[in-house]
Amino acid sequence: MSTQVIDRELERLEGLWADGLGDAYRSYLGAAGDYEPVAQQKLALAAALVEIGVRLQSLGGLAAPPPTLLMGDLCLARSSRLLADAAPQQVQIAFASAIEVLASAAAAGEAAPAAREMLLQALGSGR
Amino acid sequence: MTGRRISFETSQATQFVDITGRLREEVQRAGLRDGRIHVQSLHTTVGLAINENEPLLLRDFETMLERVAPKGAGYEHDDFARRIDIAVDEPVNGHAHCRQMLLTAFATLLVEQGELVLGRWQSVFAVELDGPRHRQLAIQLDGEFAETRTRHRQEESETLVELELLRQLMVDPEPVAAPMRRLVEAGGKRLRPRLVQLTAGIGPRQDPLRAAGLAAAVELLHNATLVHDDYVDESSHRRGRPTVAAAEGPERAIAVGDYYFAKATRLIAEIGNRKVTSTIAEALEAICASQIDDVALRGAFPGDHDSYLRVVRGKTAALFAAACASGAQLSEARPEVVEALRRYGDLVGVAFQMADDMVDFSPSSGKPVGLDVRQRVVSLPLIYAAEDRMVGPEVRRLLAGSLGDDEVGRVAELVTSSDALRKVRQEAESLVEDAIHALETVELDGLRSTLISLARSAVDRVS
Repeated sequence: MSTQVIDRELERLEGLWADGLGDAYRSYLGAAGDYEPVAQQKLALAAALVEIGVRLQSLGGLAAPPPTLLMGDLCLARSSRLLADAAPQQVQIAFASAIEVLASAAAAGEAAPAAREMLLQALGSGR
Repeated sequence: MTGRRISFETSQATQFVDITGRLREEVQRAGLRDGRIHVQSLHTTVGLAINENEPLLLRDFETMLERVAPKGAGYEHDDFARRIDIAVDEPVNGHAHCRQMLLTAFATLLVEQGELVLGRWQSVFAVELDGPRHRQLAIQLDGEFAETRTRHRQEESETLVELELLRQLMVDPEPVAAPMRRLVEAGGKRLRPRLVQLTAGIGPRQDPLRAAGLAAAVELLHNATLVHDDYVDESSHRRGRPTVAAAEGPERAIAVGDYYFAKATRLIAEIGNRKVTSTIAEALEAICASQIDDVALRGAFPGDHDSYLRVVRGKTAALFAAACASGAQLSEARPEVVEALRRYGDLVGVAFQMADDMVDFSPSSGKPVGLDVRQRVVSLPLIYAAEDRMVGPEVRRLLAGSLGDDEVGRVAELVTSSDALRKVRQEAESLVEDAIHALETVELDGLRSTLISLARSAVDRVS
């Protein structure tokens, strides 16, 4: 992917910062304190992106309109990239498993556990 | 001798379905070097023909069939009062049976050096005469096959992926597994998993089971993106079946897409190769970013060549490139080999998408003509037609307005009558040559000819 494209994507995600991504990031930062300093921010951002991503997609609720869904998809993909860069294998697996639980509950029309709680557990799985 | 059945869906009463690409794939899959491929229709209202795939000529054939055996011309076969043992849903189709008598039910094509022997303008058609329906052809191949061990290894690899896909879909919760199973079982070309498996045989660490696991995960990831795409594009059908969004609603489609996105990334993480994980994650991000670009570009439909390439590199080529690179990384191939394969995958992916764009204007594809036009999906033939001196002004005027059946039909006519499709084909073929060139300097452990053949078949496709 070219630098120009990456810049454009960053701009897109920056727009979400004020809409809850920043708050979510700060909430996860504490939970990532046991990781290497470089990894802490990436892992906290990865968790925040998942939380905001599924919220944008309205997973488990009425379907988000297509452009919002795509932004949610981008959040999940960006999170996956950050995890690939910085997370131990078990954390990558725990994050993916958390999304599987949320998505299967949504597909079955059942109540899912809170995303934040699951993601905090996923972050803790690498310790 | 080897044989199998190939299936396809038709969408019109009379339809020329170009099966040349499918037959090429079968020759390649079987590893037939020199010999024959026999094709037989399994229906009394489907014929076979070899002729030129030119849209106006196909209409001439259809007109000729109508003239010789017009519909509703008092066929005795349609007089149900006089027939015995007729089915409840017996169609009124005397004309279709009579038309089939004008064609043939079987054909044999020669194969030389792994290629179908066809003249420059020849294509092979299955001719639907009483559609739309689900149809099957029987094929057999005989002659001299490529080295049996290589072919068996390839067939075993493909079987492993199918088994792995089935296994993964069996263990998932039914609300997500059932829709995904329908999509996976409906077919698809399995190009991406094939690329993973091929390239996983290049480096020193070869493990067919791990390669099959990665290949299946890549295919699930691809299908997960399709589930969301179909909701975004408001597509009603994919692979001849209702999309997840159309059949089960957008909420379920979002959940199914998310589940398999996550599952695929988990399966890849479980493989435990950081380079592979990063390669796939980068591709996934590129796909999602380009989907946003794709939707944004619909405001400036049909867009321009640069924006087209930007979208296609993400939307389609990124996963082709990642499939090639990740397979090689799994086998611990040398970095220069990984990079050559990544470049190969990128170029083949773009060429594949260009061929896919052309299919939208082919009445013999088995899909409704002009679907991309209707959905305002970025498409290179449309871009070239809009820039054409002769038809461009009318194409642009039509695309600027609302697109009903008449407008879509007219746009398709204009694209077909212009030079656009020829230019796109030329460009796609040139990319394939570049892809082949990208492999020239690296050692590929005997897989070069397979990768070359696969690249060429990517632009020969018609469905």
